[in-house]
Amino acid sequence: MSKQNAGVWVGLIILVFSSVIFIQAMNLDYFSKFGPGPGLFPIWLSGILLVLSILYIRLSIKKSIYYFSDIIPMGRSFGNILSVVLALIVFMVLVNFTGFIIASTVLLFTLFSREYKWYWGLGIAIFTSIILFIIFKVFFEIPLPVSVFGW
Amino acid sequence: MDSFIQLLHGFETALSLGNILYCLIGVSVGMLVGVMPGLGPTTGTAILIPLTIGMEPVSAIIMLAGIYYGSMYGGTITSVMINTPGEAASVITCLDGHPLAKQGRAGVALGVAAIGSFIGGTVAIIGLAFIGPSLAEWALKFGPPEFFALMTFGLIMVIGLMGQSLIKGLLAAFIGLTLSLVGMDPVSGAVRFTMGVPELMSGFDLVTIAMGLFGLSEILLGMENLSNSEKPAKVKGLLPRREEWKPTMKSISRGTGIGFITGLIPGTNSVIPALLSYSVEKKLAKDPSRFGKGAIEGVAGPETANNSYSGAALIPLLTLGIPSSPTIAIILGAFIMHGLTPGPTMFQDNPDFVWGIIASMFIGNLILLFMNLPLAGVWAKVALIPSKLLYPIILIISVLGAYSVNNSLWNVGVMMFFGIFGYLLKKLDIPMAPIVLTFVLGKLMETSLLQSIKMFEGNLLLFFNRPISGILLVISLLILLASIYAEIKNKKSHFASDVEM
Repeated sequence: MSKQNAGVWVGLIILVFSSVIFIQAMNLDYFSKFGPGPGLFPIWLSGILLVLSILYIRLSIKKSIYYFSDIIPMGRSFGNILSVVLALIVFMVLVNFTGFIIASTVLLFTLFSREYKWYWGLGIAIFTSIILFIIFKVFFEIPLPVSVFGW
Repeated sequence: MDSFIQLLHGFETALSLGNILYCLIGVSVGMLVGVMPGLGPTTGTAILIPLTIGMEPVSAIIMLAGIYYGSMYGGTITSVMINTPGEAASVITCLDGHPLAKQGRAGVALGVAAIGSFIGGTVAIIGLAFIGPSLAEWALKFGPPEFFALMTFGLIMVIGLMGQSLIKGLLAAFIGLTLSLVGMDPVSGAVRFTMGVPELMSGFDLVTIAMGLFGLSEILLGMENLSNSEKPAKVKGLLPRREEWKPTMKSISRGTGIGFITGLIPGTNSVIPALLSYSVEKKLAKDPSRFGKGAIEGVAGPETANNSYSGAALIPLLTLGIPSSPTIAIILGAFIMHGLTPGPTMFQDNPDFVWGIIASMFIGNLILLFMNLPLAGVWAKVALIPSKLLYPIILIISVLGAYSVNNSLWNVGVMMFFGIFGYLLKKLDIPMAPIVLTFVLGKLMETSLLQSIKMFEGNLLLFFNRPISGILLVISLLILLASIYAEIKNKKSHFASDVEM
């Protein structure tokens, strides 16, 4: 994977995306009896995006070459990035069951524990979560998910 | 005279206790995001927009605009003190600001920057107050073809001026445009490209996308390298020497003009006036070799220019409804979120609102002058907050912000997706400013294009029969051709790959 051309992969994803939009746009009216239809703009836009994604893939192969190994960090830095993504996923899974404070504490502790001693990490995570809960729930009146205990 | 009376009415709104408080919060947060390396006005406004949901529209925009122009002041401090630009427009300030700090003259660099920023910012707001209404009145004559041509011109400018490659710029612009198609078609009401996901019926949310592309991607980049900044220098003496006043004031006046004119052009960004001003100062200097070693004009000119720019850049937004930079695009998103449509009718339909915001910017600039002159040293210490503490906290605030857009986890997931996507795009040097700008303009462009086609009964050549739309489209075409030529000849000099993060 590390020696794969990252630009080509991103170009391919955009190519697939634009193709899907283009095919779906073909099923919409290009012109109706009232004038231009809902398909006109999307057909042109996704068509141009499709061509651009091919040009970008060509550019990534010939001139602007970026391998995954050049752009994705290794070791601890990669761990940091991965922990952000994992912490976010865990937060989304947990929050509706545990409420905001616990889910946020888990998210923050996952990240703090990599840099601070565990008890400091946990302490800062709990403190920050409680303060944010109060600010958003009380001051901004945003209905945050809560546990059976109301927090 | 009419503008002056309206402005006085605006002060009535802006001077209410609540609005002064929101202005103070806005400029303080702006200073904070400006001071913190990696965070800039786009990230700051994107993350904090959801907090304004429950506010009065005028207070919300006063606060968000405060973040925007406040960050221009804040970015200077870290450039001078620790040689790390807090936001993109202050990159150029490092060149002479930090050498001045090393000579023990950090205070003078910051003092001159604060005075220049205040003058530049204030003159731009006076310009906004007096040019804005006439421009809006003129723009009332615009029909769909003129608006379509104007938006095309803005987009081509963004793509043409920025980025290392035209293909990458165009790719980014068309990604944004295509994403804006998702949801209900504004003209026929047909539901498009939702892939059966009910949450997509109303399309993607601008704030969520911006939070992902600009906020989360910055957090991911920041988490890669959790190093600490160098210790800031001490701040002593804020005013230049007697013999330096004259060249400083001349630089400030030139910077004001350069910033103001650049701000009026859709598609520009705050780095351009700063760079232009620096090169003008260097060219006009009797001894250009001083530049890069601590020339006071090298700080005064660019710092004035970027603040003058940020005031003037609100003119196209308030009079035409066209955002000129990603931060302004997000502020436009806030207008829409609060049920307001910026554009030519705004000065007539919502005068209290527009003039309230303009007046608040005078107050905000005054607050910033006080915050910067005596308190610069305190702000520099903020930059010392360890990033290992800062980034996780910004992450959870972003999550809360995304959640509160619709009170659903859907937007948190969308933010995560666009955060990872933005991180990859940044690594591949694909500019993100065009994505947000085209996303916010996509639906407006489609509506104006379809209305124009209907008006012209399908004959697109009639765009060139109308003077304004014809001229704008011809200029756009010329810029595009020049960019293609530069790309082929490998001559493209870009101002910044991505700005105003």
